[in-house]
Amino acid sequence: MRTTTFYSVISFALCLAIPTIMMLNKSESVSVDEKRVLATWPEFSWVTYQNGSYGAAVDAYFDDHLPGRTSILHFADRVKYYWGAHPNVPERTVYIKPKKESADTAQMQFLDDFNQSYSGNMLIIEGAVYTQNCGSPGMSPSFARMLNEYSTKLKGHARVFSCVAPLSSAFIPVEKYQSYRGRNKATLDAIRDNLNGPNFCDVLGELTVHQDEKLFYGTDHHWTARGAYYGYVAFCKSAGLTPVPLEQMERREKSGFLGSLYSLTRDASVREHPDLFEYFKPNISATAVRFTESDLRRPIKSSVFCDGFNGPSCYMTFICGDAPLVKISTGVKNGRKAAVVKNSMGNAFSVYLISHYEEIWVFDFRYSKHVMLDIIRAEKINDLIFALGMYGAMSSGTINMMRKLGEGGIGMPPKAPENSLRTDSISTILGNDSTLSKSTSMEQALDTNTFKIDSTQFSKRTQ
Amino acid sequence: MVFSSLAFLYGFLPLFVILYYATNVPNIRNFTLLLFSYFFYAWGEPFWVLLLAFSSVIDFANGLLIERFRGTWKAKAILASSIIVNFGMLAAFKYGGFLYDNFNALIPLPFNRPVVDLPLGISFYTFQTVSYTIDVYRNTFRPQRNFTTFLMYVSMFPQLVAGPIVRYNEIESQLGQRQINWDQIWSGINRFAFGLFKKVFVANATGSLVVKYLDNPSSDLTSPDAWIGLTLFSIQLYFDFSGYSDMAIGLGRMFGFEFPENFKHPYAAISVADFYRRWHISLGKFFRDYVYIPLGGNRKMQDRNIFVVWALTGLWHGASWNFVIWGVYFGVFMILEKYAMFILKKTPRLLKHFYTLLLIIFSRSIFYYVDFEQLKRFWSKLFSGNYTISQGMSIDLLNHVFLLSLAIILCVPWDELFPRMESRVRPIYRWISLPLVLVMIAASTVLLVGETYNPFIYFRF
Repeated sequence: MRTTTFYSVISFALCLAIPTIMMLNKSESVSVDEKRVLATWPEFSWVTYQNGSYGAAVDAYFDDHLPGRTSILHFADRVKYYWGAHPNVPERTVYIKPKKESADTAQMQFLDDFNQSYSGNMLIIEGAVYTQNCGSPGMSPSFARMLNEYSTKLKGHARVFSCVAPLSSAFIPVEKYQSYRGRNKATLDAIRDNLNGPNFCDVLGELTVHQDEKLFYGTDHHWTARGAYYGYVAFCKSAGLTPVPLEQMERREKSGFLGSLYSLTRDASVREHPDLFEYFKPNISATAVRFTESDLRRPIKSSVFCDGFNGPSCYMTFICGDAPLVKISTGVKNGRKAAVVKNSMGNAFSVYLISHYEEIWVFDFRYSKHVMLDIIRAEKINDLIFALGMYGAMSSGTINMMRKLGEGGIGMPPKAPENSLRTDSISTILGNDSTLSKSTSMEQALDTNTFKIDSTQFSKRTQ
Repeated sequence: MVFSSLAFLYGFLPLFVILYYATNVPNIRNFTLLLFSYFFYAWGEPFWVLLLAFSSVIDFANGLLIERFRGTWKAKAILASSIIVNFGMLAAFKYGGFLYDNFNALIPLPFNRPVVDLPLGISFYTFQTVSYTIDVYRNTFRPQRNFTTFLMYVSMFPQLVAGPIVRYNEIESQLGQRQINWDQIWSGINRFAFGLFKKVFVANATGSLVVKYLDNPSSDLTSPDAWIGLTLFSIQLYFDFSGYSDMAIGLGRMFGFEFPENFKHPYAAISVADFYRRWHISLGKFFRDYVYIPLGGNRKMQDRNIFVVWALTGLWHGASWNFVIWGVYFGVFMILEKYAMFILKKTPRLLKHFYTLLLIIFSRSIFYYVDFEQLKRFWSKLFSGNYTISQGMSIDLLNHVFLLSLAIILCVPWDELFPRMESRVRPIYRWISLPLVLVMIAASTVLLVGETYNPFIYFRF
């Protein structure tokens, strides 16, 4: 008996010691799955020790640097999956706790206002995640009122359009959830009914016609390039423009896209169903620059399409991700200009506008502190388009941000993604710290071959 | 620091084991344990170490002084001062805000509400030190004369922050020279691994469902959903707290201590009184020995005594009226059971079990909601008259069916049902214990990766 227990204790001690020793080795610095930078060993100070943050940081370091962490995370997802039975139930729910504080700016940047609105129940059906949130008709009049105010202020200067995209819950492919579409519709109808001056784009109607196609990602909260295209078609119908057929655009694709909803749920079945990321490039030359949150004097080179983003960052292909303000100049010399007010859903939408406008100014209402109304008037912009995911139109906070944008927005805490933050995050996600240090600008990032920016127009310009 | 963290498992614990067993000199081992205990406690709340040390110093000195003045009025005065200081500390740090709110509601007070964070484990170590001084006064044992040993007794990290409340006489003989053998160490490792598994694998997983259904009772919550939510919370609470106690007992055993048991399959109880003989046993014993019996026990005004003990038990759990009501709720049922004993005796065992579980599960609602408005809203769901189980809940139950089955199996007192089973299982267990322990540690580690801070529920008490 004694001998057995002796060997048991020794074996146990060895098993515990191996991970401990391995933890001393340098491991990954970024968790691609969780879309965040892993904790580093904290510097000791009495202040951090006394307020408990040093201990918390060391705890975080241990959590983040267990050997084989990524594989363990995947295994944990699988263990959780096998807590229960899944026969004849193609669907299940995962509860996402609301985040009280968004201290992690790297994660915040990716999840944006979506995460604030989308905590709660997530429905997982055959590896695709759907939010069970389906709109808030009560907030629609407030959103419409904000649009009406812009319409009044810009009377004689620019037309205003409401192109709000529904939530993915409108297209859950199970009969019993059809009512969710009704609530999405009620929210959008309430916007339409309360508009007095602005034009309404029937995005939901257009998407419904094409509901058999892939309109939303299963692993990400955004609509697909195809979904955004139908949003663009709805806009064209409302604006009296002729949409460019998809067939006339260059189709590209990337595989293995695991987006924000996978990060939130970390569900094994979702991981097994990565999205195919396809996108369409209009056959028009276009260049883009981006600006920091309030400085128009120093444009930074950007691109309409950043083909170099892969894996969990695929969605950043569109206008190279979120920025306070992006200006796109196109080869369409018709003198027409558009401004887009958007959250990240508007990125995929904006790229299609290059077929119709000479200039497109894309304002991210969460980060921009530019005085949008001044720019619209000074640049003689013809159309102001609110192209955003419905979650942006469902809270008084985000509606207020859009309202304030006209006079020089208030931005969204935490700090807006200025160059340093953005490039830092981009570099960490790509795991290429040497080429993209904190101090490097987006311009350098785009010039770097590692990034593989191969937008034809951009390449021509830089050559 | 919490046991269910990777920093503890793969940092603190291995380092402590190496240093603790680097020598077999009892005083050095005690000093090592003391240092690591203070380090453990100071991890998240360094400032409150001073309070822990202060409490220890006061009672160490009081113990010696009581011994010196034994039999005189001075001993009584010293005992009184010890009780006043200890409970004064508890009142100030744990109940300050609560007292302010209540007094302020009666007579507006001329100062602002004190804002004090609850020092970790104060309810546990205060009771421990108070029991020590009272027992010295009662001459149950001689006071400890070695200051380091006493500091170590109060601050031992295995049971410091969430019990069990270890009375001095229960481990007096182990504080000096401890006999440690491989069997004892292995038994401790087994118990620790089992506790960790209960906490991480069952309690945390069930907890995520509890938050979903109880934190913000939505309009879709049906009556069965609410009852199931409470049942899940009952499972979470038991596995969380008993998991901690198992880890504490296991760690103690690994280092030569034998801590008292704190749980004995409480959900197998057949009456409320039986339940509290099985749940948080060390707290029940404290109130029995230091409140119930001194008040007269079952010899004088028993109903009042039961009522007082349970009101205090409720208050011990938190500075909020819901805990007091929760305690009184059990006090009332204890008294009712006493008078209805003749009915209970004739009632079939299964029915008694069902009655007890129903009362326990319902009581969890009072325990869960500190805000009475929320409690009212939840009760309206609990008795809403909508008797269909929601689709979300049925999916959740199905998706967790194996986990919940395991939880139920672990709640069953197999050793009570089959007393002879242990002797038959023991030889088999000897061979499977190592892989089982490794699986439990590995499974817990896997689930801890990527999780945020997951403290034990009883930490806040």
